[in-house]
Amino acid sequence: MAEQLRTETMTVNMGPHHPSTHGVCRLILTIDGENVVDCVPDIGFLHRAIEKICENRTYPQCIPLMDRFEYVTSMMCNWGFALATEKLTDLEVPERAEYLRVIMGELNRIASHLLCIGVTGLDLGALTPFLYTFREREDILDLFEMTCGQRLTYNYIRIGGVARDIPPEFYPKCRQFLDKIDAKCDDYEKVLTENPIWIARNKGVGILTEQLVLDYAVSGPSARASGVNFDIRKHDTYSIYDRFNFDVPVFHGCDSYDRYRARMAEIRQSARIVRQALDQMPEGEIRAKVSPKFKPKVGEVYSRVENSRGEMGFHIISDGTVKPYRVRARGGSYNHLLVTPEIVKGLKIADLVAIFASLDIIMPEIDR
Amino acid sequence: MTKEELIAYIQENFSGKIELIENDMAEPYFLVPAGEIVAFSRFIHDDTKLLLHFLMNLSGVDTKEQFEVVYNICSYRHKHRIFFKTVLPYDKAQVDTVIGIWPAANWYEREAWELFGITFVGHPNLKRFLLPDDWDQGHPLRKDWVGRDVIPFPEV
Repeated sequence: MAEQLRTETMTVNMGPHHPSTHGVCRLILTIDGENVVDCVPDIGFLHRAIEKICENRTYPQCIPLMDRFEYVTSMMCNWGFALATEKLTDLEVPERAEYLRVIMGELNRIASHLLCIGVTGLDLGALTPFLYTFREREDILDLFEMTCGQRLTYNYIRIGGVARDIPPEFYPKCRQFLDKIDAKCDDYEKVLTENPIWIARNKGVGILTEQLVLDYAVSGPSARASGVNFDIRKHDTYSIYDRFNFDVPVFHGCDSYDRYRARMAEIRQSARIVRQALDQMPEGEIRAKVSPKFKPKVGEVYSRVENSRGEMGFHIISDGTVKPYRVRARGGSYNHLLVTPEIVKGLKIADLVAIFASLDIIMPEIDR
Repeated sequence: MTKEELIAYIQENFSGKIELIENDMAEPYFLVPAGEIVAFSRFIHDDTKLLLHFLMNLSGVDTKEQFEVVYNICSYRHKHRIFFKTVLPYDKAQVDTVIGIWPAANWYEREAWELFGITFVGHPNLKRFLLPDDWDQGHPLRKDWVGRDVIPFPEV
């Protein structure tokens, strides 16, 4: 009977408006029943020409644009751009500003990982972890609102320092949050890490081998879940990260499950860094004197920061005027989406959703 | 390896073909002729002392006289970085693809092709992806490109 049935592959569009593509991404899938035979990502639906717009603005004016480059961790986009510009100028950043940057950056990393873990659960049909993680994420957003008035696009880290000092009520609120985050992580682990359905959906799914990591320049927690021990904060240290004690969690499972565990472990490490930073933070200036018509010297720089989804790099060429000559922004998701077709072939469509979520792909970072 | 050791080691193995660009950056920066790109990339990728496996970034640049393609590479194993660039004439902006060495170059090169018009010979899939499918207004990141809605920046 089976021999008489004719079967053929079918091409379907997943997206651009699909809830599990985290933005507007179109995946052109060739499927054989439920199995993915081929997957071709089509991007560009969120292209805002940020690189071109930067060429027609002064350096300080570029900072709010960088918020939009990757709006889930805007603090780190601001930081990356500011760091690159400061390297170009040899600008000294006041001590206190460096601590504030670390605190905000790490809190932002926690918020981003909480979003990723919650949304992965949501994509797999588990609504509970999503509500739990967003409850804690809300606390972080409140802290940001207290600091700079914004909850999503902060425009807080500026060239030469930060926009304003934190209010006195920030300290108790932040400490209160840090005191509970470890216990909350234990709660998530109870709901997810040993959950048989979670394990069945994630363990052994989406194998991203070390070779693929190197070939496709995958970075961040996704690379560290594949046994690559590389963290820019530790191995190519920037700002004041060399003053803090923290571990780089490395896992060797290469699958969605270990990518989730790597993020969970990173939340605890980030909380550790924020605690140390709050203890060590000195009083003092929060911003170096930078003119609005700030002109860096002629030159070129590629500088990178460890973002929550991998390496975030800025390649800036300066011709000595008030505007950057060329800005190239590189985000981790770009390479994660590029490698996705390599790891989903032969798997089910439902697994594709799990892999997409576990790689933490965010579209604005890809389209720019 | 430190910057000086890297420079000495690479120049020793590629003497005469590449040029060092003097600057005060933390990384060695080389100028590689377009014809040598693949051989040079293959060497720094495979050499056990370098193992530059990780293509961080590839960007096209329009200097108003010529195009440049800048490669930023780092090594996960040895934690060092090198940068190099190649210079292409305006009327013949062509360079061999490095996809065979770093598959990550796929989209970077496609983007440089789309936004600058630099052709990467041997690239399997040079198709539009960031701009709309029916885009017919040239290559937007070129310096001579003028968009409909671009308001010129005031002189300072």
